[in-house]
Amino acid sequence: MIVQNFNHRMAAHCESGAIASLLNHGGLQLTEPLVFGIASGIFFGYFHKMKSFAFPTFIVRNKPGQMRTNIEKRTGVRFKTYDFKDPLQGQQTLDRMLMQNTPTAAQVDFFYMDYVPSWERVHINVHFLVVAGKEDNKYLISDAYFPKMVELDAASLEKGRFAGGAMSPKGFIFHLDKLPADIDYNKAIVKGIKKACFYMLKIPIPFLGIKGMRMFAKKVVEWPKFARDTEHLSHEIMKINILLEDQGTGGAGFRFMYATFLQQAATLIDKPELKSLSGELMKIGDGWREISLFSARIGKNRDLGPEKLKQLSDMIYDRADVEERFFKSLSQAIK
Amino acid sequence: MKEKDGFVDYPEQQMILYVEKDDGKYGPMQTGSFISANYMEDYIFKRRNLEIVLREQLYKNDISPVKYYMVLEELSLSELSSRAGIRKSRTKKHLDPKQFGCVTADELRRYADVFNVPVANLLQVVLVNDHDIFESNFILENKAEKISVQHASTDNPYIVLTKIEERK
Repeated sequence: MIVQNFNHRMAAHCESGAIASLLNHGGLQLTEPLVFGIASGIFFGYFHKMKSFAFPTFIVRNKPGQMRTNIEKRTGVRFKTYDFKDPLQGQQTLDRMLMQNTPTAAQVDFFYMDYVPSWERVHINVHFLVVAGKEDNKYLISDAYFPKMVELDAASLEKGRFAGGAMSPKGFIFHLDKLPADIDYNKAIVKGIKKACFYMLKIPIPFLGIKGMRMFAKKVVEWPKFARDTEHLSHEIMKINILLEDQGTGGAGFRFMYATFLQQAATLIDKPELKSLSGELMKIGDGWREISLFSARIGKNRDLGPEKLKQLSDMIYDRADVEERFFKSLSQAIK
Repeated sequence: MKEKDGFVDYPEQQMILYVEKDDGKYGPMQTGSFISANYMEDYIFKRRNLEIVLREQLYKNDISPVKYYMVLEELSLSELSSRAGIRKSRTKKHLDPKQFGCVTADELRRYADVFNVPVANLLQVVLVNDHDIFESNFILENKAEKISVQHASTDNPYIVLTKIEERK
């Protein structure tokens, strides 16, 4: 059984990509950046000591799952969601959806996706993909990170869907239930931007938003004390590049995708001021890209002394300053 | 970022980057991963060194097999115990080689599921001779060398079928 007329498309990010994919299949041609922007996807959070992570880390997007719920709240789209305790029931429900020709998104631990090269696989319980068919014991998967559809053993999909740990998927799946008769894009976009500005500027938690960036800048110089040795530190510093560029961000920690959203939104709701802000954010993203390249370079060269880490810290402080100004301007623009 | 500045020729790992097109519009571009294209060898080098160091510690009974995989897979103690469904205090014991002996077969299977390896691999190290250097399967897989070691599960959760063959 293969879902008819389903078009696989690569996307920058798994969750916004999966949502856009389901919406497009259902007849609503919303781009990935519009999904991301309306859902207030842009974010920053720094975690210096957290039990779930073996090393300090940061995030550049909102909480997994929020893109779907925010899109529902702001556009009137409805998704039907399911989670399970029993893997067999989880598989039967998914199979039933496929029998009904319904492409269905699933939350999985990326580590068990056998089609991913082993060097790319990491334990992340919040990877989203679209299941678009099943033949024999293999599912046909539309994973936004891959150019073509891929096959996955039923056993591997089950392991991924029912992995334990932080943000365990619990077999979670969702599919499109209902599209609204019409969407008030002006309201949806303004609400999406307002919430993103709140998260970046005003959220009263010291490790989130702009405050989180400054905490990251302050604490990154302490990273050597968490590392086993120089190679471990090099690996973790180079992961800054991966987190900003490679883990489904569309480049520069989602800043390029959010700039694209602002440009598309400017046309869609006729707000030219968003267009000039999109250009500004693209340039801010270039600065994040410099951080990515710098991290990769010093990591590769094992040039990780206090001076280099201070330089890295200053670059992050600088991004915090420019982003604070940017989000204040954005907040003013949609008042 | 301009389209021409963002493109990386690396078919092995493709991704979407949002860039400024020639007409000034921003949009998606399919490209290769910059870090994989330029730094993959360094990643493999570090991973190999880490495996060697951990294996030596394992042979000397300085760490337990659970600790070996936990470090390799970059898991914290809390995350590992939560994923395995085993109390944290008990997982902590299993990291200590002196207390590893108290692990049950069921607990081993739970850890093996988390690490996605056969249960047997928690009690043995499989190395393959590649150009007179013994390497782990992980390294060989990524170098796409001639020999492959494939583990196939059976209906018995404690028995794995290990197939060693030349790559075709």
